[in-house]
Formats: sequence, structure tokens, C-alpha cells
Amino acid sequence: MQVLIAQIINGLSLGSIYVLLVTGFNLLLLVAMIIHFAYPQVVVFSMYITWVVLQLTGNNILLGVLAGVGSSVLLNLISAPLFQKVMKNRGEVDINSTMVLSLAMGMIITDVLSHSFNRGLPIAFPEQISESTPVLRIGLITILSGQVWSLGVGVVAVTGFFLLLYKTRAGRAFRAIAEDPSGARLVGIPLLKTGLESYALTGILGGIIALLLATLLGSASPGLGEQVALKVLAVSIIAGLGNLPGGLVVGLLLGILEAVAQGYISGTWSNVIAFVVMLGVILMKPSGLFGTKL
Amino acid sequence: MSLALYYYLSITAVNILMSWALYVPYRMAHLHFITVANMAISGYTAGYLVMALHVPFTLALAIGFLLGGLIGYLVSLFIGDAPTFAVVIVGFTFITITRTVIENMPAVGGTMGMFGLPNIGGSPSVHRFVILGILYGLVVLVGFLIHRFDHCSLGRAASAVFVDKDLAVSLGIDIRKLGILLQTFSCTLAGGCGVLYGFIYRSYHLDFFTFHLVGITMTIIFVGGYATMWGTVLAAPLLYGIPLLFPPEIASWRIVIYGALLILVLVLKPEGFITRRSVHCVEAFLSRRQKN
Repeated sequence: MQVLIAQIINGLSLGSIYVLLVTGFNLLLLVAMIIHFAYPQVVVFSMYITWVVLQLTGNNILLGVLAGVGSSVLLNLISAPLFQKVMKNRGEVDINSTMVLSLAMGMIITDVLSHSFNRGLPIAFPEQISESTPVLRIGLITILSGQVWSLGVGVVAVTGFFLLLYKTRAGRAFRAIAEDPSGARLVGIPLLKTGLESYALTGILGGIIALLLATLLGSASPGLGEQVALKVLAVSIIAGLGNLPGGLVVGLLLGILEAVAQGYISGTWSNVIAFVVMLGVILMKPSGLFGTKL
Repeated sequence: MSLALYYYLSITAVNILMSWALYVPYRMAHLHFITVANMAISGYTAGYLVMALHVPFTLALAIGFLLGGLIGYLVSLFIGDAPTFAVVIVGFTFITITRTVIENMPAVGGTMGMFGLPNIGGSPSVHRFVILGILYGLVVLVGFLIHRFDHCSLGRAASAVFVDKDLAVSLGIDIRKLGILLQTFSCTLAGGCGVLYGFIYRSYHLDFFTFHLVGITMTIIFVGGYATMWGTVLAAPLLYGIPLLFPPEIASWRIVIYGALLILVLVLKPEGFITRRSVHCVEAFLSRRQKN
């Protein structure tokens, strides 16, 4: 029982990161109309930039965090005109071609990381970031400070993000475009500007997720982005593409499922369990459990 | 024949076949990446049959094709008419699951892989000619079948689905049946390719069946031209061959080059280098010459 409780706490930390990733992914899908499969790779790229800046500045965390967030925003903004051009080429919103473009971006980012940083070896974050001091110990249950941080910041970020989407003027503009782009244009919402804002906002979110992942995992490798990308797209499909509340529920559930499986089954097999469950749900219900919002 | 030429010719043929395996379901907008997982499943199964049970190569190859087709058929029952992103994620998930299962199976060598597959026909030189013969025989056969498909009502139905799914349904096209047919064909082809891929190197290793292979085949299709089968025939030898001419320090950036090229083509030449229009022009020119 103690193992189960410990793993559920782990799962909540991991799940909150999935929720943030899926929310960013869904926001780009709803507002900019793109399937940004490489979004998690952008996040892992930010982790690497944070690591480089930490190395260069003698572990100056503020500069590291700023560099991580900045690189994520920059990458997202650079990719924006490419996505817009591809959609314009097809003469209509074409989610498939943006997905292919995004897959190409992912290929480049993963290969650059495996060539140019730390000779392709996994990177380890300093203790100031990946804090692993036990905060609470009850029997088998040990809660590390890194878990508390990532869960706390994750919950705050998810809440803040949802408040922004549902309680602010900018959020209403995002959701209006998601519901009906033509109607949104009619009532005076600038589509291009709001679209670019969604790229910038998801960039900021990407930087925060990079920091949370660094805190929770303490390390990163070039292949991490691909692994996470699969899960994010799967969570998004299971929840229903573009369904923000659905993403919240399924993201948390996946985190818990993965952590519980890790508690009872050896490393690689536990990963397969999560994928098999995801595959089963997608095969049975390709349109998602909570309905697609596209 | 030199070993380098043998590898170039055989891998080019595999790339053409695998890209066609992706091209066929993409005719109705399905990016069916499960083909890479099927390659691994059929390849390792055939390797095990030949090495451990001493099954003849031809029978193992036939089993590889059948196994690929069977898996493709079973999966397509669920995703025959699914949206593209669902098909993509099913493919990627299948690759991950397959790799993990193989990694944990000592019977097929686990992470070490499977080595020492026998030469077909006895000597290494005969082996190479047999493999090349089978591969290019398959290229001709599959090329003919796809050419016929492109020019028959099924091909036109697939084009209609690609352009507008709702319109295709209102025209009476059974999207699910068409999806099942194309996905099963694609997986059957991939299964056979998986067996042959291992016999080219006389070994199987998980490094053969990674997301890089997905990237390579995707680049071949989109750079060559996704609207006709001829784009693949042009792009496969060039994209595999040109990086081989680069110095090793540049050639190691092959995937970055592929990715950049793919983005450039999507932005500047969205239909790829060989478009349907250019193929129609060539066909019209050839038929005019034949008449004269």
C-alpha cells in the first residue's frame, strides 16, 4: 500500500508535467491550427540550453531559467512563419502537412542534440535544480524536494494557464478563434496577432516545463523529446484533440499509471504498459474519450 | 560486385519499397508508420525461424510477408477510417512497444541483436546476387501493382478521400474498406522488406528499426513527390547516395540534412519534385510518340 501511495505522488508530479505539455500542444492546435508534434522536442532543447547556460555561468539558476524560456519562445516564433507558409501553400488549414513539418523539426532538434551537446551523452543537472533531498519519509514513502517543487509549480502553472484561458480577455480571444475563426475575425479579433501570441505563450510554457522536467528527472537525453512527444500526442488523442479539460484528466491519469507501473514492474516493461493502454484506447476510440474540439 | 555497391543498391531498393509502403496508404492521407514495426516483427521472426528452427529462407520470407499482412489487417480493422493523427500515433506506439518487446527477448538476441544469418545459395557472392534479384524483382512487381492502382477506380477513390473525406463518402466510397485494403498491402510489403533488410547485412539489430527510418522514408516521399509513385523512384537513390559522397564529418549530419530538406520542400515545393501534373505531361508525350 505504501508503495502505491508513493507512486501515486510520483505520478501526480509527472502527470502535472504531461498536463502542461498537452495544454501547450492543444493551444497551438486550437488557435494556430497546427499539430506541433515537435513541441516536446522544443522543451527538451530548452532543457539543454538551460544546462549549457548553467555550465557557463557557474550554475546561475536565474540566467539558466531565462535562457531556457527564451530559447523555447524563440524556437516557437521562428517556426511560426514556416507553419503559416505551409498552410497557405495548401490553400486551407491543413493539419497533416503541419504535422509533417513538425516531424521534420523534431528530427533536426533530436539530431542536433545528439551531435552538438555533451558528445551526445545524457546531461545531468546540478543539485540546485534537481533537488533530491527527502522532505518527508513515512515507511517506504519518501517525498523528495524535487517532486514537491515540480508538483507545486506544475499545479500553479496549470491553474494559471487555465485561468488565463477562461478568465481573461486574451484567453477569450484564443478560445473564440478555436471555436470559430471566421466569427472571431468578424468581431474584430486579430487572427495573426493572436496566433503569434499563442506561439509565444506556448514558448513560455515550454520553458517552464523544461525547468520542471529538469527538476523532476535531474537529467535529459536527446531521445527524451521523442518519448515525451509520443505520450503527449497519445494523451491528446485519448482526451480528444483540442479538448483542454480532457487533456487535464488524461495527462494526470497517464502520469499516475506510468508511476504505478514503474513501482511494480521492471523499467522498460513498465513503459510498455503505458503505451499498450494508450494504444488500446486509441484503437477502440480514435476520436478520443472526451470528444474532439476541432 | 564491390561490397559498397551491393549495399548501395540493396538499401536503395529497400528504401524504395518502404517508401512505397508509406505512399500507398498516404494516397488517402494515412501516414502509416506501423510499417517500421512490421519490418522488425517479420524480420526477427524470419531470423529466428532460419537460425533456430532451420526453416528455408524462402519459406521464412513468405512467413514474413504473411505476418506483416496479418498484423496490418488486424490493426486496420480499428484504424481503417481513423484520422491521420490517430494513425500516426498508433504507428509510433507500435514501434515503441515492438522495440521494447524485442529488447527483452533473449531468444532473438535482445539488445545485442541477431548475428550470423546464413548465406542464401552458399557463398557470399551468390547471396548478394540472390538478395539483389529478389529486391529488384519486388521493386518491379510492386511498382507495376502501384502503377495499376494509381490508374484504376480504387486509386481515384483514394485521391477523393485525400482531397475531401466527406465528399468521398457522399460519392459512395467505403473509406473503411479502402483503408483496410491499403494498410494491409502496406504492412505486407513492409513485412517482406524487414526479412530482406536483415538478410542484406546477415544480421538483425534494433538500431535498424528506429524513428530515423521513419524520417528517411518520409523525406523520400515528400521530397520526391507524395502525389505519384515516381517521386520515390527519383528520391530514394539520390537521398541515400548523395550523403555517402560527403566527408564523414558532414555525412554524420545526414538526418539534419534530411530534416532541413524536408522543411524546405514543404515550404517551397509542397507537392515535391515530381508532381502529378509533370507525370501526366510525360505520359501524354509518350503516348503521342507511340501514336506517331
